[in-house]
Amino acid sequence: MSLLYRYNIVRSPRAVLTLGGRWSHPRPLLVVSVTGPAGTHAVEGLLDTGADETVFPEDVALRIGLSLSSAPQGMGVGATLAGIPLRYGEVSLRISDGIERREWRAWVGFTPAKLYRPMLGFAGFLQFFTATFHGDREQVELSVNALYPGT
Amino acid sequence: MNTNGERLDPPDLSHYDENRSKFPLEELAKYWGKHVAFSPDGTRIVACGESIAEVDDKLDAAGIHFSQVVHSYIDPPDAVYI
Repeated sequence: MSLLYRYNIVRSPRAVLTLGGRWSHPRPLLVVSVTGPAGTHAVEGLLDTGADETVFPEDVALRIGLSLSSAPQGMGVGATLAGIPLRYGEVSLRISDGIERREWRAWVGFTPAKLYRPMLGFAGFLQFFTATFHGDREQVELSVNALYPGT
Repeated sequence: MNTNGERLDPPDLSHYDENRSKFPLEELAKYWGKHVAFSPDGTRIVACGESIAEVDDKLDAAGIHFSQVVHSYIDPPDAVYI
């Protein structure tokens, strides 16, 4: 069994030279539900094989009732190497493609930096899946692996 | 939790991906560069704002609990991720 997601198509105002002149960018987005002590927040996140960690905006921690006041801290860097402060918390993550559903506990980062959408990176997310990115079909397939700790 | 302190069940998202992928691009264009909240079935945008907090404030005002929607960000058309 695996979860299958279509890429999200984002329209471009101009023909994209690097994609043969098509007028859109396909992006691997999927809905992840983050659950903390006070509730659940469902949000579209970006699967990012280049991200070491899974990171959400701090607003999400506030909404799900996760206190970060004494949370372990760290620092991340983006593609431009600009520093991004992080605080870590343990949450439940849930995904579904409408057919299969997976839920597991994970330590993820929260940042006060302007993060437009969660980054679903290796730690806490991709480490638990075999991810196949079908560039031709613009779909991504996730199958749980031996490290998957959830249900 | 809702205003009574009760934890709400998560919404049914089983049709979200299918409908979200069909969401009219012309309609999405109205929300370029904004944070939004989609209905659980992916057919409607029920709130938008410049930040997640603004979206949640609008949801509160409309009597919609933040756990009953899917949050997203509508990329502006000229954004290229690197």
